[in-house]
Amino acid sequence: MKGFKKVLAMLLAVAMVAAMVMGCSGGGGDAEEEKTEEKTEAEAPTEEEGGSEEVLKGGGSNIIYIITPSVSNPAFKAEADTATAKAKELGYEVKAASHDDDPTKQTELFDSAIADKAAAIICDNAGADATVEAVKKARDAGIPTFLIDREINAEGVAISQIVANNYQGAKAIAEKFVEAMGEKGKYVELLGKESDTNAGVRSSAFHEVVDQYPDMEMVAQQTANWEKTEAYDKMEAMLQANPDIEGVMCGNDTMLEGVCAALQAAGKKLPVIGVDGSDEAAALIKSGDATGTALQQFAVIAETAVVQADKYLKEGSTGAEEKQLIDCIAITSENVDKLSGFVFTE
Amino acid sequence: MAAKQNSGNNKLAMTILKGRTFIVLIILLIFFSITADNFMSAGALLTVAKHVALYGILAIGMTYVIITGGIDLSVGSVAGLAGMIAGGLIQEGLTLKMFGVTLYFSVPMIVLITVLLGALMGMINGLVITKFNVAPFIATLGTMYIWRGFANIRSNGATFSELAGSEGLGNTGFEVFGRNLAGTAIPCGVLILALIAVAAGLVLKKTPFGWHVLSIGGNEKASKLSGIKVDRVKIWVYAFSGFCSAVVGIIATSQLVSATPKTGESWEMNAIAASVLGGTSMAGGVGTIGGTIVGAFVIGVINDGMTMCGVTEFWQKIIRGLVIIIAVIIDQVQRNLQAKMALQARNENK
Repeated sequence: MKGFKKVLAMLLAVAMVAAMVMGCSGGGGDAEEEKTEEKTEAEAPTEEEGGSEEVLKGGGSNIIYIITPSVSNPAFKAEADTATAKAKELGYEVKAASHDDDPTKQTELFDSAIADKAAAIICDNAGADATVEAVKKARDAGIPTFLIDREINAEGVAISQIVANNYQGAKAIAEKFVEAMGEKGKYVELLGKESDTNAGVRSSAFHEVVDQYPDMEMVAQQTANWEKTEAYDKMEAMLQANPDIEGVMCGNDTMLEGVCAALQAAGKKLPVIGVDGSDEAAALIKSGDATGTALQQFAVIAETAVVQADKYLKEGSTGAEEKQLIDCIAITSENVDKLSGFVFTE
Repeated sequence: MAAKQNSGNNKLAMTILKGRTFIVLIILLIFFSITADNFMSAGALLTVAKHVALYGILAIGMTYVIITGGIDLSVGSVAGLAGMIAGGLIQEGLTLKMFGVTLYFSVPMIVLITVLLGALMGMINGLVITKFNVAPFIATLGTMYIWRGFANIRSNGATFSELAGSEGLGNTGFEVFGRNLAGTAIPCGVLILALIAVAAGLVLKKTPFGWHVLSIGGNEKASKLSGIKVDRVKIWVYAFSGFCSAVVGIIATSQLVSATPKTGESWEMNAIAASVLGGTSMAGGVGTIGGTIVGAFVIGVINDGMTMCGVTEFWQKIIRGLVIIIAVIIDQVQRNLQAKMALQARNENK
């Protein structure tokens, strides 16, 4: 028993050290910044050396791997389906897989693609930092990666990073929100997952527009982690606290669905906006339950990536910058009929 | 004569049943080598082994826990928190506010601190379960949320991405755990899996501690009456599970060269599945490390094989679920057969 207590005491000591790690980490801010600065300077030249000039030939097979988050989300389904269709049309064999937003699983899928000698990888990634290593590994194996929808925190590793212009899209739909609110009134905002950069970008774009109107007042701001059920619960709670809410801004359409359901349950119809452009949101806009959404053209983004992959494999260049922004379209009751399956037909 | 024939058949059936997971593994390997072009290559199989290492190591700790009749749902969260602790120590060091200094540890020190903390987290599970008499499912469900919460708090939900370390601080080299052994094609994780598996297997089979673990799962009351310190054994078992989880956290973080608080979400399910596939009984008292490793490989081969076959996400889930249920059904059949054979043997002796 004595030995046991000794070990326990030691472990507790370690625990205390850990508690300090947790508690005090905030203090080292300045030192950290300096460190990062040094690092960026040191890294810059290596990137140029390793440069994207060398052309990746692909792993040798005719297979394109399409790796996305779970296709239970219609946006990613549209993305995976369009990419698959386009790649097949261009004569490739396609293997589509989902990483469920788990970076480790994503690494495993990249490993599989490398083992399978994939020609190219199209990926909607599972984390801006956690993806870099996987893309590098593919690059080392001669496989070019084309990132869609979400960027990574490194340049010169992937061949293309094609994403929706979240900032422009959120601003465009925020204009419609202000219009629907009559430029005044109390509103609430539901944020996406805080660790996701898009959540921050969309929210600040919303506010860049809305905060110009002094009569618009935000009475609550909560995160619902992009989720429908969570948005429903949070909305009900916020309605309890502020029964006089006159509008809701949501970071995505899934949360918009939850909000509209909560409003219906409370017998209310208010201006509600989202971002994404899902069919569910389109239906709510048609029925008048929601005001609008910013369509991220997932299908266009996915198709562009496949076309660029094909061009790159054949010609050694995509002919475009690595980072590319695809504009969003503000969808309201006026143009909602042209939207279906994330495709906007003029 | 008829009886003898019968018992001969039973024996053959038993042999097949006992090696069932292994047989399934062979069948899967053959199946995928036919359906997926590049599956049967050394590279692809090593890739599978590398992926298996992660939940294989979790499953070893889990097997010990399940053998004692418990369950550890917190393994994925411990892995996540361990990764964040290791990542934080590399990127930010340890700031001691009262002295105004920031300490940076070498990588071996960081690994040591992390696995000890992992063991401590496991030990807390054990203490809550034994000293406060909380059901293991509930206790570890609770800590699963708690550790995940801490993992997020550590970085406020963000990712530690500067894990390469720097020469000046003397903390480079963290990425070795996720890479291949220098000069070989063998992933480091696979070696760690092998080491832990051999050690855990030997301890379970050859040492008094291992016998106590098995005995507690078989009959806790009898074990207590025969003088086994049940609570202590259990606490160590949970500590071991925590240790294994922390090791996995380090390997996973090292592979990504970045620590995210999401690491290990829902991995406990893979670990439990591997244990059960390997013949560990959820009722406790029965299980082997060898079986668990084979079980982990079955899951790994299914996962990677289906991806390389181009099976879609939703079907993958269905197939995984079916494999687990079928494995447990066969387990029951084996147990019934075993009981029948024991009865038969007794009758024949009479």
